[in-house]
Amino acid sequence: MITIRDLRKTFNAGTANEVRPLRGVNLEVKEGDFVTIIGTNGSGKSSLLNAVAGKFLPDSGSILIGGEDVTRKWDWQRARHIARVFQNPFTGTAPDMTIAENLHIAWLRGRTHYPRLGLNAGRRSAYREQVRQLEMQLEDRLDNVIGTLSGGQRQALTLLMAVLSQPKVLLLDEHTAALDPKTAAQVIKLTRRFVEKDRLTTLMVTHSMQQALELGNRTIMMNAGQIIEDIPLEEKRHHTVEDLLDKFAELRKTEQLTEEMLESLRREYA
Amino acid sequence: MELWVGAICLGLVYAFTGIGIFITFRVHNFPDITVDGSFTLGAAVGAVLIASGANPFVSILAAFVAAALAGVVTAAIHTKLNVNGLLAGILVMTGLYSVNLHVMARSNIPLLDKTTCFTYLQSVNPGMHPEVWTCCGLVLLNVLFWLLMTLFLKTDYGITMRAVGNNPDMAAANGVHVNAYKTFGLALANGFAGVSGCLVAQYQGFADIGMGIGTVLMGLAAVIIGESVISSPSVAAQVFGVLLGSVIFRLMIAFALSIGMNPIDLKLLTAFFVLLTLVISAGVARGKGEKGGVLGALGTVLKLRRFRYVTAGAVLAILAFLGYRHYTKGPLRTGQEYRIGVVQYTSHEVLDSARDGFVAELKRLGYQPGQNCKLQLENANGDMPTVSSIIDKFNTEKLDIVVTISTPCTQAAINKITDRPIVFTTVANPFVIGAGKTETDHLPNVTGAYGEARMDKIVNIVHTLIPRKLKVGTIWNPALANSVVHLGNLKKALASCPDYTLVETTVTSTSEVYEAANALNNKGAELFLLISDNTVFSAFDSVMKVARRNNIPVFLSNLDRLQDGTLGCLGFDFSGAGAQGAQLVDRILKGEKPSGIPFEHYRDETFGLNLDAAKNFGITIPDEFIKQATFLHKDGKRVPGPAARKAAEGPGPAVPGAHKRIALLVFNDNIILRQTIGGVMEELEKSGVLRKYNMTVDTKSAQGEFAMAQSIAQDFVRQQYDYIITISTPALQVTAQVNKKIPHVFGAVTDPYRMGVAKTSAEHQPNLTGVASFQPIAATVALMRKVLPNAKRIGIVWNPAEACSEACTYKTREVVKDYGFELIEATVSGTGEVPDALRSVLGRKVDIFFTSGDNTVNLARPTIAQILREKKIPYFTNAPNDVLQGSCVSIGADYVEVGRETGRMAVRVINGEDPRTIPIKDYVPKKIAVNLPLAREIGITIPEDVVKQAESSEKQP
Ligand SMILES: Nc1ncnc2c1ncn2[C@@H]1O[C@H](COP(=O)(O)OP(=O)(O)OP(=O)(O)O)[C@@H](O)[C@H]1O
Ligand SMILES: [Mg+2]
Repeated sequence: MITIRDLRKTFNAGTANEVRPLRGVNLEVKEGDFVTIIGTNGSGKSSLLNAVAGKFLPDSGSILIGGEDVTRKWDWQRARHIARVFQNPFTGTAPDMTIAENLHIAWLRGRTHYPRLGLNAGRRSAYREQVRQLEMQLEDRLDNVIGTLSGGQRQALTLLMAVLSQPKVLLLDEHTAALDPKTAAQVIKLTRRFVEKDRLTTLMVTHSMQQALELGNRTIMMNAGQIIEDIPLEEKRHHTVEDLLDKFAELRKTEQLTEEMLESLRREYA
Repeated sequence: MELWVGAICLGLVYAFTGIGIFITFRVHNFPDITVDGSFTLGAAVGAVLIASGANPFVSILAAFVAAALAGVVTAAIHTKLNVNGLLAGILVMTGLYSVNLHVMARSNIPLLDKTTCFTYLQSVNPGMHPEVWTCCGLVLLNVLFWLLMTLFLKTDYGITMRAVGNNPDMAAANGVHVNAYKTFGLALANGFAGVSGCLVAQYQGFADIGMGIGTVLMGLAAVIIGESVISSPSVAAQVFGVLLGSVIFRLMIAFALSIGMNPIDLKLLTAFFVLLTLVISAGVARGKGEKGGVLGALGTVLKLRRFRYVTAGAVLAILAFLGYRHYTKGPLRTGQEYRIGVVQYTSHEVLDSARDGFVAELKRLGYQPGQNCKLQLENANGDMPTVSSIIDKFNTEKLDIVVTISTPCTQAAINKITDRPIVFTTVANPFVIGAGKTETDHLPNVTGAYGEARMDKIVNIVHTLIPRKLKVGTIWNPALANSVVHLGNLKKALASCPDYTLVETTVTSTSEVYEAANALNNKGAELFLLISDNTVFSAFDSVMKVARRNNIPVFLSNLDRLQDGTLGCLGFDFSGAGAQGAQLVDRILKGEKPSGIPFEHYRDETFGLNLDAAKNFGITIPDEFIKQATFLHKDGKRVPGPAARKAAEGPGPAVPGAHKRIALLVFNDNIILRQTIGGVMEELEKSGVLRKYNMTVDTKSAQGEFAMAQSIAQDFVRQQYDYIITISTPALQVTAQVNKKIPHVFGAVTDPYRMGVAKTSAEHQPNLTGVASFQPIAATVALMRKVLPNAKRIGIVWNPAEACSEACTYKTREVVKDYGFELIEATVSGTGEVPDALRSVLGRKVDIFFTSGDNTVNLARPTIAQILREKKIPYFTNAPNDVLQGSCVSIGADYVEVGRETGRMAVRVINGEDPRTIPIKDYVPKKIAVNLPLAREIGITIPEDVVKQAESSEKQP
């Protein structure tokens, strides 16, 4: 479903601020794969997702989605097949518009716009049913503006909006990081349910080792703009958090990680 | 009645702009100021179509499309070229100015007797008052618009557009082409502004190139007022709020006008109100959790929705209070005795004449010391502590008002007195002593009249007298705040005069002045141009000593030094300054608050020339200057000059019980219009009608804004003034449209026939008459022939976009043939192109260069004059003041005279003649001015009789 070949990106090339978040990423994701991504801060996880979504165009390499080469396409053109949920609950919704209107925007994804009153009674009752699945008592508040909702409620809605018109690929970038543990658990539960229901091809960045191991059928580890480990489902079953940390230590030995990186990984994931 | 209904109508037509601004600023979060230009574009397109007979409804559609295209251009510059949105708007707005001129092909298109939407509307009027019926129609239109707009914002398009504005990242993530929607929104917004412009043009009866100025702010005010009145997330309510806000805004302005508020303060109030509400809403936005900081904190405090009502309420309360004050303030009550204290620093010619002018004017205004007021005149005789005790005395005696003459007195008074009004006069710069920050932003209990010498004018005059490379010397004391200001002004003035360079020396005390003057002489100063510096003036004799010994002319701003041998002075008439102070006192005693009265600049300039000194230096003083002089020093004596203020004439027999009011509307405050008003006032004064009918003249300036002019004219009608005088073409146009009853006299209008208020001089709108002043093309060409019998070619540069200029050029083409000239033309579209166009014309061997009523070209007059002088080609123009700016011969309207003519016509009307029977007067300008030194320099002899005519044209009525 997703094929990434030798993807490279440099920001602020030639200046003192030069950063190279992607230094030759190769990745093959099959249809229905649920891949979790881990790695240190600044290792390029978000950049990889941004590249797939088309937030920026890569310097070299190519990205194929469902066999179609989208490397040079704008983000809004790719958005017909790719849905995303960001870390910040404020970025995924329009705060001054109502729940129904926000869902309607998501529903319009990939559909031709006409000057018609598309948000009719039929659509509203469909949205009410969808919102009911979130189990957050929002189904009676369809006409409340998003700005009045809590961060968890917004994030759950953003997730719902992302899956509303059945995208080919779902990108999740630490989408529970800003939530309290209880809400985070609810959002993870919903994520699992939505992904399984539509068998969505998913890339999910997380800083929780637990999530990385429990969710999905594959885990990849990024470091310094490259994928350094790819753990398939079979191996994952036998892994514990400690195993993963050992893996880090091993990498240290092979000089792929510096001592500081190892430390920061331990701190984050332990 | 007319005022209120008229204000509602204006609000309703401007409501479309409000919605446009709502779409850009609120829905899209895009500060688009293209609207200033697209509003005019809509008006221009609409007016051109209507004038050519198109259906007015079709013209509205065309206006929408044209203006929407302007929005698309802004959007393209912003999205495709990545230019900041604000900047993109400024670029397109600026560009649109030229486009609009091209569309209109002139600066103003009248629609007075054309078929507009409102004509159709009136044709189905069931018998209501026309304005009320118009209002009904507009209300209906707005209700329809409201429904459609609300519906639109709920369609898939509308919802997506709102999402794009509200959170573009989210929209893009959901597959929305953000830039396309931005473009769409800008097109829609500007389209509505265009519709608004088109409707305004039809409503006010003309389109004008300047009508869009300030539209963005008006629309923003509507949006913001709407938000504070109706605060609801519902789209329908928001749109309704904008429409309502637009109406409320116009009503506020009408109200402020009706209570006699100065339009200048109105803008300040609007700006302040908009700013306040912006700060609050910014606070609310931040309060939502993005950033902390001061604004965030403020936001949390002000987040209370109620606060918006509080703001709106506060503004209304202020206005209501002002209104209350207005209606309670009456004419001078006879039973009461006002007590006025006047303190003057010392006995000195300037201060004494200010005091005398003050007392005389006070009496003229009806305050008779000993009868209805008590006047205490105190003099501190140059002693600062005395000033202090005089003020203490005033304080304990609880006088009604304190008048200070001179800077030290004012300084002392403003420190000691805070609970009663202070009026100052004879203060050069009230800002440096802390009386205020600007003319309008000042201590609440202080106002007054002030003035700084006009260094730019002085430099101009001196340069005309001595037009060659010259080192100009000045002496000043850096410790004196006033001197620093004056020197800055002098430097600025010299910067625009490349011939002159400045050499300066500074002093710290009077004893150094002699030394300093010698130093200046050693530095090669060929002229002393002295700023008003108290240190230097105290030792003025030492400066004169050096100047005389080295044969250096001296020019300054103090008239009293004329007899000491200075060449000339340009300053102020301080008795006039005193009179201004008295008028301010009168306003305050009649109930106005000093805080609401802006500081006034001195009105009466004085100009003195020493002909004896000029003869000594071998300088020829142009007759033009002599005519402007208020004082001349001739044969060792000081005599009043031709322009001296005529002594006030004795009051004529007053008609008992009469009180009549004249309303005077002027479009803006440029020099020509001010001169015209001066002439009008002079004539009204001279004729005695003011006293005879106990008349007051209320002068209002529209500050160059059409909407403002409209509101003022409506206010005149509502207040039922007895007579209206309008100065300038737009003022006439606006007033003729709303007033069909009150006798109306106009002036400073080039062509009233083109505007539809009159067909011929005798056949005109029955309640009005006035003075039309054409450019005297034929006379100019005849004069060219007379001065230059052998000349063959005349060069002209003009801007085809200016209707007036076009007419002048066509006329010139016709006339030159009769005198055997050939006309060589070049056209320009902007002032910047003038030098090139001029050179191209000169390249074709012209003998004379001519410019007439072309504003674009005339702006480049100094450059033109410079080039022509180098090439020794005579420069003819059509405005006598031009000779001060380097034209050689000029024949044209003396606007003071146009004003007088208008004034005389007003007097006839006031004395009972019916305007219907008074034909419009075609004033044929015949004032000739000649720049003799320039003529001599470029080797042209002006025939003796022309020179004589130039002199005698002054004496003609
Ligand atoms: N638009 C950009 N311009 C400049 N530098 C960028 C940009 N986007 C990312 N970077 C830089 O690229 C590097 C990789 O960033 P990225 O966000 O991909 O890391 P990450 O793995 O997601 O880290 P984290 O775990 O902190 O989210 C960082 O150094 C970041 O500063
Ligand atoms: Mg990241």
